[in-house]
Amino acid sequence: MTRIIQILMLLCLALAGGCATTAPADVVGGGTQLAIRQIQTRQYDSLDKPMTMRAVIATLQDLGFTIDQANIDLGTITATRLHEYTMRMTVTVVGKGDARISVRANARIDENSVTDAATYQDFFVVLDKAMFLTRNNVD
Amino acid sequence: MSTRLSTLTCCSTNWLPLLAVVLLNGCATTRIPEDALRLPESTLEVRAIQTRTFSAPSENAILAAAIATLQDMEYNIDRIEKPLGVITASKVTDADSASQKTGLFILDMLCVMAMSGGCDSMSKAKDEQHITITMVVLPSLARSDVFVTRITIQGVLYDKAARILLLERINDADTYQQIFDNLGKAIYIQVSEND
Repeated sequence: MTRIIQILMLLCLALAGGCATTAPADVVGGGTQLAIRQIQTRQYDSLDKPMTMRAVIATLQDLGFTIDQANIDLGTITATRLHEYTMRMTVTVVGKGDARISVRANARIDENSVTDAATYQDFFVVLDKAMFLTRNNVD
Repeated sequence: MSTRLSTLTCCSTNWLPLLAVVLLNGCATTRIPEDALRLPESTLEVRAIQTRTFSAPSENAILAAAIATLQDMEYNIDRIEKPLGVITASKVTDADSASQKTGLFILDMLCVMAMSGGCDSMSKAKDEQHITITMVVLPSLARSDVFVTRITIQGVLYDKAARILLLERINDADTYQQIFDNLGKAIYIQVSEND
């Protein structure tokens, strides 16, 4: 019987230790830098930076987000959606020279990072439509 | 008994799959919803509810009117990014009513008198609501001297124990209409004062 109690205590220790501390992966994130950048980034050459940011804001609003903050100098927009779960996104719009604009989005849902390519692809599909509308002067 | 104990040693292979399942379960991540960033079918309808166009003499005039409208509705302005026309504001409101508090207090009292456990109805009562509103005011791309205003609102409802009761996007058309009515009046006042 003592043996079972010892095993149970060991199991409890293992479980308690498993997620209790701030693991390095929680601070620096998982996955490789390059792979994450690839799925989170698209490049456009149709609109300038302010107009691209306008399209990004419209996209986020279409997707039900409220804008927490936006900064045109640094090209960042952070937005939150509260619906069943909390989703937070930061989108950066950076000029790449030669009229090319790079748009990078990263998202978290509750305490999890969104890492699947399909979800980011969905975002860029909506952004493509907003970019098209903005380019054609549709409000 | 000794036979049964011997099968429950830590090195028994029967334990390993169970242990693995328990440990994996402890740190399991939540599945990301597949449609997290897909447009819902109601997008156009919601966009129409959230968007209006206003005539105003300048971008400064309509932004000032928008800020004044938010202040009229008792919001605090959190951030403004003028070149993008983004205004973010928020407020915390009391979400419970006196009758709800009284009802739950009586329920807890009856629960204590009946000596049954878990008498914490009061802690489950609504306490406060955090409301965030974003106004995006930009010159229309289609028409000059007209500004497109789009508003999005969402709220978090907390109970007395600071637990989240509800996360919601506010899509009620009347609420948005009332805000746009207020903004229309604020623009009128803004223009009249500067004439």
